[in-house]
Parts: sequence; C-alpha cells; structure tokens
Amino acid sequence: MFAVIVIPNFSLQAVLRNEPELSARAVGLVDPGQTKPLIIQLTAEAARYGVCAGLTASQAQARCDALIIKTLSPAAEQAATDVLLQTVYAFSPNIELTAPGVCTAELKGLGIKLDAAAESWGRQILESLAGFHLEARIGFAVTPALALLAAREATPLLVAKDSAAFAAALPVAALEPPPPMLEILAAWGIGTVGQWLALGRDRVAERLGSEAVALFDRVSVDSIRPLKLVTPPEEVAERMEFEHEVETMEPLLFVVRRFVEQLARRFELVHLVVGEFQLRLDLSSGANYERMFTIPAPTANIDTLFRMLQTHLETVRTDSAIIALRLGAKPCRAEAHQFGLFETSLRDPNQFAETLARLTALCGADRVGTPQLESTHRPDVFKMKMPEFGGEVSKGAGSERGSRHGASGYGVPPSGGRARANTGISRILDPLDNANAPPDEAGTPYPDVNIAEPERGLQLRRFRPPVPASIEFQDERPVRFQSKVFSGALADARGPFRSSGNWWDDDRWAREEWDVQTSGGALYRIFFSAAGGFVEGVYD
Amino acid sequence: MPGANIIQLRQLLSEKFPGARPRMGGPVRNCWPTGLPQIDGPLDGGLPRGALAEVIAENAGSGGALLMAALIHQAARERQIIAVVDGRDSLEVTQIGGDVSRLLWVRCRSADEAMKAADLLLRDRNMSLVVLDLAANPAAQLRKIPATVWYRFQRLLEQTSTVCAVLTPRAMVSPAKVRITLRSRFSLAALEAERDGLLRELRVYVSAERRSGELFSALKQSA
Repeated sequence: MFAVIVIPNFSLQAVLRNEPELSARAVGLVDPGQTKPLIIQLTAEAARYGVCAGLTASQAQARCDALIIKTLSPAAEQAATDVLLQTVYAFSPNIELTAPGVCTAELKGLGIKLDAAAESWGRQILESLAGFHLEARIGFAVTPALALLAAREATPLLVAKDSAAFAAALPVAALEPPPPMLEILAAWGIGTVGQWLALGRDRVAERLGSEAVALFDRVSVDSIRPLKLVTPPEEVAERMEFEHEVETMEPLLFVVRRFVEQLARRFELVHLVVGEFQLRLDLSSGANYERMFTIPAPTANIDTLFRMLQTHLETVRTDSAIIALRLGAKPCRAEAHQFGLFETSLRDPNQFAETLARLTALCGADRVGTPQLESTHRPDVFKMKMPEFGGEVSKGAGSERGSRHGASGYGVPPSGGRARANTGISRILDPLDNANAPPDEAGTPYPDVNIAEPERGLQLRRFRPPVPASIEFQDERPVRFQSKVFSGALADARGPFRSSGNWWDDDRWAREEWDVQTSGGALYRIFFSAAGGFVEGVYD
Repeated sequence: MPGANIIQLRQLLSEKFPGARPRMGGPVRNCWPTGLPQIDGPLDGGLPRGALAEVIAENAGSGGALLMAALIHQAARERQIIAVVDGRDSLEVTQIGGDVSRLLWVRCRSADEAMKAADLLLRDRNMSLVVLDLAANPAAQLRKIPATVWYRFQRLLEQTSTVCAVLTPRAMVSPAKVRITLRSRFSLAALEAERDGLLRELRVYVSAERRSGELFSALKQSA
C-alpha cells in the first residue's frame, strides 16, 4: 500500500507558514517573476469574496479591499518541502518527493494492514504537519498513482479500500488528460474512468495513441512504478525576507522565536535535539552578520534555545537595517548526564552559558573566566579562559583569551635576588640561576615550577594597576613612603627580594620587592622597577 | 553484608560532606563547611545554604583575603564549582594554591558592577558558593548600594542551595543569616608562616540568626 500526502496551495501555505495568523484572512499569492503578475493561489477567505486565480492584483483587490498580496518565495517553499519530507520520514523510511508539496510514502513493512491502522497513521502525519502550520490531505491506495488521486479527493483523509472501484468512479478529468483528448472522450460519451477503462488498453492505444496509454496505466491497479527514494536533509534552516526593513529588536525576536519553535519541533520528530544554530542577518547595505551558536547542553527546550539567541541579539548592533533572517540548525542526540557522587557539575549548562554571556557583556571578555596560571615567576601573570566545568560549557562558546597583567609595564632595572617565602615559589630566584636556565621550547623558563602551591604567608590583595609611591630609604631600608593608599612612617621592613626574567627577549623585566609594616600595623608589598616605586598590594 | 556497606557509605559521605547529611541523632542542618573549626563549630557545620553570610573585614590586614582564599581552596578540594565576584579586581590568584579550574572569577571595576554580576550568578543557580568581595571597594561606592538589593539576593538564594558570602568593610548586609567579623592582626613574621597555621590563628566572631525573630542573638567567639 502507498500513501500520498498532498499540501494543497503549496506555495501559498509555504509563505504563510511563518505567519499562520494570516491563513484565516483573505490572502492572494502572485508570482513576481511574471511580466504581469497574476493571482496564482489564494486562501478560502479570499475565494469567498470572489477572488480567483488569474486575476491581477489590482483586479483582486477591487473585489476584496482587505486582500493581502504575498509573493512567491522559493526559500519558503524549500523550507516547507524539507518540513514535509522530515515529517513523513518520521513515519516511513521509504519516501519520494513526487512534486512540490506532494510526498509519496510506501507502507510496506510498517505493519499497516487494516484501514483503521492506515487512518490512524495518516492522522498522526496530519497532526504533525498541522504543528508546522501546513494543512495536508492524505490518500491511501495500492499504487502511488491511485494514492495521489485518492489524496486529491480526500477530506482530508481517504483510504481507497477497493482501488479498482475507487478509480472507476472518478471522473476522467481527474486524470488531467490533454484538453483535446478530454473533448474526444466527452464526444464518445465517456465521463468516468470506469467507462474509459472498459474500452480496453489496446483499443485506447489504437485510437488515442501512446499518451492515452500512459494515462491508462496510471489508473491500473497492476501498474506500480518504483519510487525515487529521498532522505530529508539533516541540517535544516528557516529563512524569511522581511517586507519592511527591520530596525528594532522586537519584530526580529518575534520571528526568531517562531523559527526556534519550528526547528526544535522538526528535530523532535526524529527524536533529536538542537546541537548548533547558525544565525545570519542580511542587511540593507548588502553586508551580512553571521554567528554560530553551539548549544552547551543540546536541548529541544524552546525557551532555553530562544533565550540564548535573545541574549546575543540584544548585544548586536548593525550599521543598517535587516532585510532577511536565516536560522539554520544542526541536530544531535540528547545527552544524558550522570551527576558524580563526589564532584559537582553544572546542573544547567545552558543557563550557565547564558549567564556567562551576560557577565561577559557586563564586565568584558577578559574579565570573566577561569584563571589559568602561567609557568613564570613574573608577578600577576595569568590567562583568563572560558570555564570548562565538566567540559560542557565552552564548546564553541569562545576560545582561550590571553591577558597579561601586572609588572610588564613597570620597568626594567637590574636585579639580584633570593627566595621569597610568601610567594610560594619553591625555586631560588637568582640572576645566575636565571642565566643558567635556558628557556624551554616554548620560550618559557622553569617549566617545572609549580606556582599554584603557595600554602604560606598571608594573602595579598592586589592593586591593579600598582599605585605609584614615593619611598624614602635609610641605611638601604625603606623607612617611609607616600602614596594614595598610605602615607607615613614604616615600623618594619623585610627585603629586598629581587627577581627578573625574560632576559632573552625584549620583554625582559626586573624588580626589587619589600614587605613593609606601617606604624599602624598594616602590611604592604612595595616594589621598585625602572618606572619607579609602587605599592603592589596590601596583605589581608 | 549490604547493611555494613550502607553504614560505610554513610560514614564516607558524612566525612566527605559533613554539612550535607547530619550524623544519626545530630541536628538537621544544611551547611557548606568552610573547613575552619572556628567558623564551622559555632555554625553547627558551616555556612548555611540558601542564605547570605556576611564577612566583615573592618581593617585591611584583618584576614578577609586570607579567609576568602581559604574558602576557594576548600571548594577546590571538594571539586565544587564556585564564583568569586571581585569587586575591585584585587584577588591575587597565583597565591590561592590548589586547583582553580572550577573557579569562575569575575573581575569587576566597581561595586555597582559587582552587584550586577552577583545578581546574575545568584539567578544562575549553578554555583555552590558565590563569594562577593566588596572589602576593597571605596566607601562611596558601597554607600550607593540600596539595602533592598540584599533582600532581593536573599529571596533569590532561598530557592537554591547556594551559599553567598559577602566580604564587606562594615556591616551592611541586613538580611544576612550569618555574620562573621574578622579582627586579626598580623606581623611581618606571618608572611613566612604556614597558611594552615595562619588560618588557625584567625580571630573570628560569629553571630548567627538562630530562629526567626531572634536575629543575631547568639554571639560566639572562637580562636
């Protein structure tokens, strides 16, 4: 048995799919490619006002002043075709795209033997298509050609139990013969397919030629043509060209929400979820804006998916208005996550990705992330990278961002040195040691130094950037300093701690540090470099 | 012996998460253990989950940054995901020690920015601990924070198991369930000392809301 799913007024339904509220109104579709655009398809409401195919737009509007004129959209038709194929493919693996808006499915092997089962199967398809704002008809018969005829007669579902009797009762015009042939048959007094078939194949061939034979075979219950099987595309997209240029966020988000709903629902049919979005905005200036979104935890949740796009779009500024929107999506399997007993992981990675995006928008990309320490003795050097809490978050959300802070811009004086206990650096910082320790392959010295294990001393609260200070010495020890954070005498000092590095390139640095205690008891770290004296931070 | 296995598992869990599940017969508390006995003791296990905890570091050098580093270190040891909202970008991250791969660090420029960032993180509900460090922010910035914000934070936290520790230079978080005041003084010799020893010496005053309507009635001092 075969089933044919037909979407009547396919071009019009494809265009109205993204504006389903217009389906109940008077709408006419014109082909802008024609020299004199005529109405080619129209809604039932338009027909009620006397509008019919073949009228010009002005003629049609003369009959119905509320008529909305829409133009053919190949992109919308392609999207609707994909929807049709995907929907039917979810119910049968053997499908054919017979014509635009017409899909044939073979029911062999699906276990559909009874008419009731076929009807139930068909109703599920109709419901699924209705979810995509497509109204369809389905016909069942023993051959694809008869199933197509049944689909055209269906309201909206027809099972041709006795295919021969069904075909016999059809008017000859249903076979769409050429007009001259139809005239001849009418002259012969043949009005139904049954009467025509009674003539016999040889007699028809003798009198009407090979064209009539082809038509004869179409309605024969023994003639089953092989289907040209197709597979719907895995990646799907929705596209809309705006009639009026979009300059504000609201109308854009409205369409984006609809697209997200449609795309997520399409994947749901095949038990997949959205793994990636590709957003493209075409601008009136001719430029376009493109962005790819990898979903941290692939999902079919429309709110989550929409929020992700909304958060991003709220930060987008274009130099001209938007004339078209395209949203593509890649499917993937839903991930099942097992929470660990002794290790926490993100409960909602999508929510976290959104929070991260908002934090980045608030503070800047280089100010949000997980610190990654570098293998160097240079103070305050680290990188900020995208968090990978369990490996779910940073997929595609951005790559590592490097930033160097601290002493790089604060001078290059000569150096000496000994170890600072409170920095936690386990290796003696000695100029000779520096000189004898060549850089590793990456140009970084001391690759074996573990700077992440201090476990000693008080925690420094850094001033970024360091605060310039005027420091007074007595007997080679600081006794007083003046700065924005403190000005006064020092009760005690500890140092100097000298360090230097990058002597092999232009980024060389050197500094001399002191830990000092003020007369009030506060502990500061001060240092000298070629740029002068600074307060680096307060111990807290 | 399945019974023995369950007992072993309970023991393991109670050792690993002392605040997560009370011992048989013990008080029912949902806490985030800090690992510091002078705080966990008075609070019956640690900082209360789903609530604000205020840490007041009245003076620079009273141990606010040291306590914050200890909290981060403790979370890293437990492999928990935490966030530090650094009100004045003052965290010396190279000094924290341990694994910081599960730390989200938000480096803010002002208290206002920090409050917005904290608001986002509390709504996120993915973090087990959010540390909001306002101790280094100027008083002028802190005065501009409306008191109602803290109540909003408290309402957000009530629906989660997140702990929010706010470091401030003076008492300003009215709805805080726990208030920890730091009054340590350190000398230069402390810069050579072991971190664990310094944490043991940390002078903290813990006050907690025991019951509704009995705000900060219990004052406990330790160390």
